[in-house]
Amino acid sequence: MKSRVLVVTSGKGGVGKTTTTANLGTALAMMGKKVVLLDTDIGLRNLDVVLGLENRIVFDIVDVVNAKCKLKQALIRDKRFEGLCLLPAAQTKDKSAVTPHQMKNLTNELRSDFDYILVDCPAGIEQGFRNAIAGADDAIVVATPEVSSVRDADRIIGLLEAAGLNKSRLIINRLRSKMVKRGDMMNIEDILDILSIDLLGVVPEDEVIVISTNRGEPAVMENASRAGAAYRRIARRVTGEEVPMFNLDDSNNILDRFKKLLKLAR
Amino acid sequence: MSAVLKSSNGKMQINMQSCRTFAEIKDQLEEQLKTAGDFWLGGGVSIETGHKVLSSKQLEEIQTILSGHGLHLQTNDSEASTGFESSGHDPSLFEQLPYYEDTALICKSLRSGQKIFTEGNVVILGDVNPGAEVVAGGNILVMGSLRGMVHAGVFGDDAALVAAYRLSPTQLRIASHITRPPDGELIVVQCPELARIRGGKVCIEKLKI
Repeated sequence: MKSRVLVVTSGKGGVGKTTTTANLGTALAMMGKKVVLLDTDIGLRNLDVVLGLENRIVFDIVDVVNAKCKLKQALIRDKRFEGLCLLPAAQTKDKSAVTPHQMKNLTNELRSDFDYILVDCPAGIEQGFRNAIAGADDAIVVATPEVSSVRDADRIIGLLEAAGLNKSRLIINRLRSKMVKRGDMMNIEDILDILSIDLLGVVPEDEVIVISTNRGEPAVMENASRAGAAYRRIARRVTGEEVPMFNLDDSNNILDRFKKLLKLAR
Repeated sequence: MSAVLKSSNGKMQINMQSCRTFAEIKDQLEEQLKTAGDFWLGGGVSIETGHKVLSSKQLEEIQTILSGHGLHLQTNDSEASTGFESSGHDPSLFEQLPYYEDTALICKSLRSGQKIFTEGNVVILGDVNPGAEVVAGGNILVMGSLRGMVHAGVFGDDAALVAAYRLSPTQLRIASHITRPPDGELIVVQCPELARIRGGKVCIEKLKI
């Protein structure tokens, strides 16, 4: 299989790029794929913490591009899944420590060993962003149902198109269906109308994400997590499988479903 | 500043209180002996340490300076004069402690992304947060919570040690050894601890002072 380099980006900070990268990567590894996660947020690294691998870091991405160590030495194998690896960012340097050209070489080097290379992009549109998208085949844009996030996502999609990445796909994160129903939150159609790119998936707001992030265990490993289930479905879509969109109704209990059935019968 | 080497009642003494640092004492001593020529040739010299503590390596250095000018170090009968006993410390720990000339004193907490590098020892009056790095050629002492990454004896000194008021690093390195806390276990220790290499492994022990 040809390997794919996917960059996870958003423009705005705090919308869930790192959470998405960690969960999507873990979900793909659970499906038996070989996945490497690349943290390009040099100076503000987080992906290692979310995956619970922080204390294993010896070398980082800056050491690799400066040839201080071999690529294999810097890759950290996940403690739970055989096929999952992490290339951590440096914490004591900044974005200018790596150039887009070096990133392109790095992702090309990784292609031979992995099915999916997920690049966690930093917030902003400066050098960190240019580094992250340099070697990418496709982009996954993450946005929350807020005007500011959608505005930034729109700008990012424009920049991606300018860089030749025309097939960006959208993940809408932290959607609260109750608020959408009340008309207090942008709905999926509104967002798609503005951004006009393909929807890869919708992730509901879920407390489990906070808990799992703090514990360093991605939410996709929790069967009960609604967000985790959404990420598992997104992972299947990434591999090319046709998966119908998740029913985002908050009323998931049996009584509500029963009521719905009765309504339908009438 | 008073002279380092004094002669009283026919006995020669090095006064450790006369200078602030050991390097100054060495320089002063060297200078004084040079100006004196062979005036003191063949004499025995004792050391008045006062409240200062000398390591065996420092003693050795003084001895080489003295013998270079035809003098010798008089070993005192009581150990107290070299400062080991009088200070009440565990002498074995000080014997093992590698000696470094320079010690950097950092009077702040280190936050994520901040990095300290020294060729000698480093003492941090504050915390070391996760994501911060402390790299030293010598020993590392943290007078707060150590939660980040530390690397003592970075030039390969196996005898270097790491001590902290609360020792819970993300990663702890001494010379070429890399260790991390075990997965899944949350170890809470409410006392100062010390990490050093014993028998080829990094060991954590209670800091006894």
